[in-house]
Amino acid sequence: MKDSDVIVLEEPKLSLGDQFYLPQVLIGLGTTMKHMLNVVVRGKDRVIQYPEERREDLPVEKGGMLLKTYRGVHRLNKDEEGRVKCVACFMCSTACPAHCIHIEAAESPWADREKYPAKFDIDELRCIYCGMCEEACPVDAIELTHLYDIVGLTRQEMVFDKAKLLNIFDETVKKEPM
Amino acid sequence: MLDRIINWWTTNIPPWVLIALIVHGTIMLTVAYLILLERKVASWVQDRIGPNRVGLGFGIIPVLKDWKMNGFGQPLADGVKFILKEDYRPAGADKVLFTIAPGLMVLVIIISIAVLPWGGIRQTQRTLHLPPGGMTLHDSAVAQLAQGDEMVGEPVSLGNDNYQVTYRYPFQIASLNIGVLYILAVLSLSVYGVVIGGWASNNKYSFLGALRATTNMISYEIPLGLAVLCIVVMYGSLDLGSLVEKQCHNWIGIIPAWNVFCQPLAFTMFLICIHAEANRAPFDTAEAEQELVGGYHTEYSAMRFALFFLGEYAGMITTSAVCVALFFGGWDFPGLRGHADHPAVTSNLIICILRAVVFFTKTVAIIFVFMWVRWSLPRFRFDQLMMLAWRALIPISLALLMMTAIVVVCFKGDSYDFVGGSMALTLLGANIFVGALIAIISTLIPPAPLTNRRLTVVGSRYSKTPLPLAS
Repeated sequence: MKDSDVIVLEEPKLSLGDQFYLPQVLIGLGTTMKHMLNVVVRGKDRVIQYPEERREDLPVEKGGMLLKTYRGVHRLNKDEEGRVKCVACFMCSTACPAHCIHIEAAESPWADREKYPAKFDIDELRCIYCGMCEEACPVDAIELTHLYDIVGLTRQEMVFDKAKLLNIFDETVKKEPM
Repeated sequence: MLDRIINWWTTNIPPWVLIALIVHGTIMLTVAYLILLERKVASWVQDRIGPNRVGLGFGIIPVLKDWKMNGFGQPLADGVKFILKEDYRPAGADKVLFTIAPGLMVLVIIISIAVLPWGGIRQTQRTLHLPPGGMTLHDSAVAQLAQGDEMVGEPVSLGNDNYQVTYRYPFQIASLNIGVLYILAVLSLSVYGVVIGGWASNNKYSFLGALRATTNMISYEIPLGLAVLCIVVMYGSLDLGSLVEKQCHNWIGIIPAWNVFCQPLAFTMFLICIHAEANRAPFDTAEAEQELVGGYHTEYSAMRFALFFLGEYAGMITTSAVCVALFFGGWDFPGLRGHADHPAVTSNLIICILRAVVFFTKTVAIIFVFMWVRWSLPRFRFDQLMMLAWRALIPISLALLMMTAIVVVCFKGDSYDFVGGSMALTLLGANIFVGALIAIISTLIPPAPLTNRRLTVVGSRYSKTPLPLAS
């Protein structure tokens, strides 16, 4: 770096009103009062009252949910014949930053593919819902759905196995096609 | 039966006991609800709604759980949380001091509630038994009344040595004639709770926070006292009840004679100082969450933290109440005044209660201003805080006190009556004059030296590079 590259800035000079601080304080108080009156009198708050109003019911412009891109809980897709699409290539498991996908491959009973997952566990509590697995999959087998309110009473309950993930597919494929 | 109980109560128990119980209960309940108000106000400023679901039913009590309270059960939930949390003490903390620090702060602030002027003076009658003895009738009646009560007229005989006595008592817990001094003195003691809490926590950050809080509170007590003095000098009395009474008239028929209209600069300084005393934003470096975790109350959990919290809010209530009493006419409201000569005196209990309600409402309004300011202003840096107190507020308050004293001497000389319209205008002019003086002088003061001066170190790679030539 040369000396001629250095730009020397001076602090902006405070106006008299700024120096006294109180006039600017009053302007600031006015801004906050405007926000308070907007919320209390005109009801312009940004709050979604959760159990009564849900985010997916709102239009996208008003803070709703874009179903195609929302990253909720995972599902394993099935093809037209009802077979699981996953070929147990381990790409999602490798891509996962939280190491929450555990796959056991087995020889596939169908002719057109070599492997299929015998076990496919995702620990939904470790998952960070980043979508890397969805991006990594070469056969579009794993997808993140729009479901976000999955709860459980134990940690073991929230480790979803293959059957559960395929079940989620059956539940959500109508609202959110592949 | 009820008659007998009421009779026994009014003859044997002085009125301040009931007032004390009601006021104490109300203040404690208000402190709990202030936590909710703070959260609501914070939410409104941030374009959201605060807690609006908590009711009283804990979700399971059959009748209560369906009563929609829109968030007003939140203080109960907070209280239960504070009681049931794990209460630990860090290793190495001083056993005794750690325990008593929050209690010390709360104790001191609750004591200071005693002198607030809630309802003026009430005139009422009572039946006394005055057997003939050595003293005159008048003196023996006065001996039976409480100290501080004033007898009106002479005892009226009811036969059988029973006399009906008309007397006046102040409708507050204690009517000290040094009321303002008492409150200032007692509120200064709340610093002890903070500094002992920070020291006893055995934690660097707590200690730093406590140190900052101490210097903060001590520095701002001087301009606080001086701003209060500006009002006291006008009326010649430290008694809060009489300070309120002297504001109960109108100038030009419609403007109430409140001190905020004739001394706005003193009011502004008082407001700034009570913000600093309560360690509230923008003066809250002592508990700045970004810097000091929690400051002096980092290591406290559960009930002890609740006591610190309560102490802070109760301090806010007390200082707001003093602000209202000094500057906004206390319980004054058109229609609630008594006679023009003694506006505080009334014989109607309902009027006294209404006055207390008005006083309380005004206090809550000032507390709302506390919260409004918290969410509007950035925090002061610690040296800016100190400079504001010592280099700005103390000279201003001294100048204001001098001007007030000059005006008072010119207008009143020796008597302390109601403040007339011309005196009020002169005081307003004096305030504006001091404000203009500050404006002029502040432009003449040379700027503070740079805090990071560049040292020229000859021959080192950190030597000053010459500035680029303007081209």
